[in-house]
Amino acid sequence: MKFSSDEIASVLQAEIEHYDSKVDVSEVGTVLEVGDGIARVYGLSGVMAGEMVEFPNGAIGLAFNLEETSVGVIILGDYLTIQEGDEVRSLGTLLSVPAGDAVIGRVLDPLGNPLDGKGPVQTTTTRPVEIIATGVAERKPVSQPLQTGIKAVDAMTPIGRGQRELIIGDRKTGKTAIAIDAILNQKGTGVKCFYIAIGQKDSAVAAVVEVLRREGAMDYTTVIAAGASAPAPLQYIAPYAGTAMAEHFMFNGGHALVVYDDLSKQATAYRQMSLLMRRPPGREAYPGDVFYCHSRLLERSAKLSDELGGGSITSLPIIETLEGEVSAYIPTNVISITDGQIYLQPDLFFSGIRPAMNAGISVSRVGGAAQTKAMKKVAGGLRLDLAAFRALEAFAQLGTDLDAATQAQLDRGYRMVELLKQPQYQPMSGTDQVLSLFAGTRGFLDDVPVKQVQQWERDFLKFMHSKYNALVEELTKKQELTDDITNQVTAAIKDFKTGYKPEVK
Amino acid sequence: MDNPEKLHPTVLDTGAEQLGKVYARALISAADRVKAADQVVDELGGFVDDALRSNPALATALASPRISEEEKCRVIDRLLGGKAHPVLVNFLKVMGRRGRLGYVAAVRDAAESLRDEMLGRMVAEVRTAVPLGDDLRASVIKKIGGSTGKEIRLVEVVDPDLVGGMVIRLGDTIFDGSVSNQISKLARQVKSGFSRELVEKFSAFSSG
Repeated sequence: MKFSSDEIASVLQAEIEHYDSKVDVSEVGTVLEVGDGIARVYGLSGVMAGEMVEFPNGAIGLAFNLEETSVGVIILGDYLTIQEGDEVRSLGTLLSVPAGDAVIGRVLDPLGNPLDGKGPVQTTTTRPVEIIATGVAERKPVSQPLQTGIKAVDAMTPIGRGQRELIIGDRKTGKTAIAIDAILNQKGTGVKCFYIAIGQKDSAVAAVVEVLRREGAMDYTTVIAAGASAPAPLQYIAPYAGTAMAEHFMFNGGHALVVYDDLSKQATAYRQMSLLMRRPPGREAYPGDVFYCHSRLLERSAKLSDELGGGSITSLPIIETLEGEVSAYIPTNVISITDGQIYLQPDLFFSGIRPAMNAGISVSRVGGAAQTKAMKKVAGGLRLDLAAFRALEAFAQLGTDLDAATQAQLDRGYRMVELLKQPQYQPMSGTDQVLSLFAGTRGFLDDVPVKQVQQWERDFLKFMHSKYNALVEELTKKQELTDDITNQVTAAIKDFKTGYKPEVK
Repeated sequence: MDNPEKLHPTVLDTGAEQLGKVYARALISAADRVKAADQVVDELGGFVDDALRSNPALATALASPRISEEEKCRVIDRLLGGKAHPVLVNFLKVMGRRGRLGYVAAVRDAAESLRDEMLGRMVAEVRTAVPLGDDLRASVIKKIGGSTGKEIRLVEVVDPDLVGGMVIRLGDTIFDGSVSNQISKLARQVKSGFSRELVEKFSAFSSG
């Protein structure tokens, strides 16, 4: 391919002609000291909190601490080449990031610079990183479901569009897996997804990007990465930057799903900055406003009123606990901010129950309103039954004789636990979930051996899609278990069971 | 000012600054009573620049607690006695008696800014590629003075890297009308504009 130099020259000429020369007026200060991602600057007497400043090496900073004699600046970029005595120039604007369709499918750093080698984001749309969340009058209650494609989550802790559902658990319990499955399941729904990696290993981020690409999810997903090697200020602003990008879609009537992976690392980065800025440490050495740091972030997830287009941001913040300690400072803070939590337990995870969700203490405070009628019907009470089963199971291990009713409850429990297991990267449609859970909760699985439940489920769904496709489509359309559909599904299950012989392995 | 490249030091000692302000206020009001404030401030500046900056040993000796007050007073008498205004000599002796002679430079900075403030004077740093001509200097002073309503004390710096134009610094505000800044701004704008055009009408550029 050849490039015509005339075209290029004419474009350059037009650009130069449009250039109007003005005298630059800016306020400046002098670097007094620099290190660990922060700088103290003398001067900048008119700078405002949160205003952007520029260092001679091109790095951007934010005025973070305004003190009597100096300004504390956090440096969002390379701070190693900044020296004492350097001139700092205030830019008179707030930090903003590129937004709009151009960021979709990209891997960016928190400032919107490319990390995927595809060149700068070409857009004129930008949004400020820090805004005050929408007020009461601009919102409406959560009413639409956001399907994660995970049976356990959609049935027991349903998530609605505009909800904040915390995913909490120890390391290596499948927290990210739930979030990734939720992103994969948004394919074809028009929900834009934002995966914000904070303080993660760069290899882990690369693996997530690879999965998203392989499963075709990068067509509607943006990854914002501030890895473990990124300076603390970048890790601190990453969630705000990602939310700003998502807000562009929310305020234009669209829907977005934001995953913050994870907020404990962001709190740690914020603690580092605050301590270096000599703000007084509080509990666990976190600064006093670490609650506000998370609450103002998560408050920006909202369901907008119809006058504002009805857009939404759903967020899935992730918090890593140490040894299951949910009463530590940051976990309690974020639990109290969010509209529910999915609690993942290592012992469940290692006994093969994946997702390793503890049904007893996982809740969704608003999502029930957003569940489809069909799902509500099959899954109502499932969470409490499962929690009761866990208690009963522990009791049964004592080896006492059980009466028939208790034994039946136990048998049902074992099968439901088996049914709620789901492999990674295989989100299920809402209809399939309803069919599976219908079979389980109505007792059609009671005579299937526990070990064969998963195989039974797979064969059953295959059978339904091939033989009773019309029924499946009707259910998908109505999302409601009317008496008629209930009867038809029951008949179909009976039909399946009469001819079903599980493969002997 | 000794080093006009840096309007303020890059080491910030808030304690010294505070102390300097208190002593400077006392010195100026004492000098004002005998109508010699300007002279005293100038002489203090001269003392700091000529005696202390060029003689680190002297500055260390004056700041050292090991040397007795009488000794320090004698040194001051010998250096300044008869030459400097008596108010300044007395003032330095008072500082010596209180063990504050290590802060003379801080007092000088504070005194100068206090004096500027009282007289409605302002320091403006003008950075140009070639030295200013007399008429240009006059017009710059007039222009800045007119817009700020203050008397302007000009600090001139020649910086060939600017190529042309001038950069004026008033306090913390910079007015950058230099050619080098214009060129780099133009380059940035053309670059971003061009890459935008490149994405928008990629086909127009390629002829193959």
